[in-house]
Amino acid sequence: MANRALAGNPNLNTLGVVAPPPILVQTPAFEGTLATLFRCVREHKVDLLEVPMEPICEAYLCYLMESPAANLDEAAAALTVLAYLLERKAWQLLPVVEEDEPEMDEATALPDPTTYEYADVIQRLMENHDERTKLFFRTATPQLDLYEIPYDVGDVTAGDLAKAFERLLRRANPEPVELLAKPRKSIQEQMKFVLLALKPSYQRIEEMFVGEYTRTDAVYWFLALLELIRLGSAQVKLEGEEVLFAKK
Amino acid sequence: MNLVDQLEALIFVTEAPVRIADLVRVLGVPEGTVEQGLELLAERHADSGAFKLVKLAGGYQFATKPEYAELVANYLQPQRSKMSRSVMEVLAVIAYRQPVTVADIEVVRGVQSDYGVRILAERNLICEVGRLDRPGRPVLWGTTAQFLHQFNLPDKDSLPKLELGGLPPTAHDQTPLLMEESE
Repeated sequence: MANRALAGNPNLNTLGVVAPPPILVQTPAFEGTLATLFRCVREHKVDLLEVPMEPICEAYLCYLMESPAANLDEAAAALTVLAYLLERKAWQLLPVVEEDEPEMDEATALPDPTTYEYADVIQRLMENHDERTKLFFRTATPQLDLYEIPYDVGDVTAGDLAKAFERLLRRANPEPVELLAKPRKSIQEQMKFVLLALKPSYQRIEEMFVGEYTRTDAVYWFLALLELIRLGSAQVKLEGEEVLFAKK
Repeated sequence: MNLVDQLEALIFVTEAPVRIADLVRVLGVPEGTVEQGLELLAERHADSGAFKLVKLAGGYQFATKPEYAELVANYLQPQRSKMSRSVMEVLAVIAYRQPVTVADIEVVRGVQSDYGVRILAERNLICEVGRLDRPGRPVLWGTTAQFLHQFNLPDKDSLPKLELGGLPPTAHDQTPLLMEESE
């Protein structure tokens, strides 16, 4: 069945295996496609020890980043080739066991410890240290860490905030399938959006959203809101069982 | 405004040693002028007042004069922790042979040294400065500015001179030695 599925694949080579995509590899020792490098290494035409692996891995990652809709079979074939090359090079880099290894009963001479050579300087360093203990410097001003600044949230407890967050999450849509290497969102960016959505009058967190949102959106939104409360740009209050937020 | 007064103001407000390069950048004067100013500032505080200008860890800082040490210590009650002889050995080997791997330290000392390295790293006296390009990519260790500060050294070149090739120690020299570490 699988063979029949592969039969229609134009990328199949003569062995019936999916050929890796034409990823161009440029290194001081080899220039060509990944597939050619693979063949040359297998046929001992290229010494892999002289070929740096970093540009090859870079080329593969560039291929993944630049062709998000790439054929999965091709990408997998390229990854297999890359794994083969890395494993082979790793084996080559391992130290070779010397043939004329010393006999077990011949004790290998270890270098004698030479710590005594440092005895004088250790003594001098300790004298320096004693002198230094007689000096006192301006100590750091007691600055509270930003995260320890107590901020006023009135009667609102962590539990109330958690309930508001749970309600937000319940309404969230399932996550869409995302491609790998999705750019990471920053809370700082999210804070700008939340700040725009906050109004001077109190509102529920759900009311700040326009349209659909996912659980990840909700998490980012809530974290940004907490950060704004901490920085004093947003305020929160409890009205009955409702947790309400407003711009400060 | 007088340059010496400006230097005094800048060094006074900072809690870590101020580097000459930073003073040159802020004051917009040549390095030589800053150095002369620092000499005058040191002279100003040498004879009077409770402070003196000290060169430590690559920069300049005000410190109380040693004659006030007891008084200040009574007030501040600084916490003192002890550093064992073995940890001091590790520190000395790193200071003089940096950048160095734990294996290199063990060759010099002839005993396992990873505990000492961990303690020193926790106290911020040493830090990772890179990795050796050989199988396993072992961590290379070097001393920090905190080391220079705690051992009263202006810079790495001011370490006491190490004379290698001395005689092995006698049994008398093996007595354990403890030192106190401030802060």
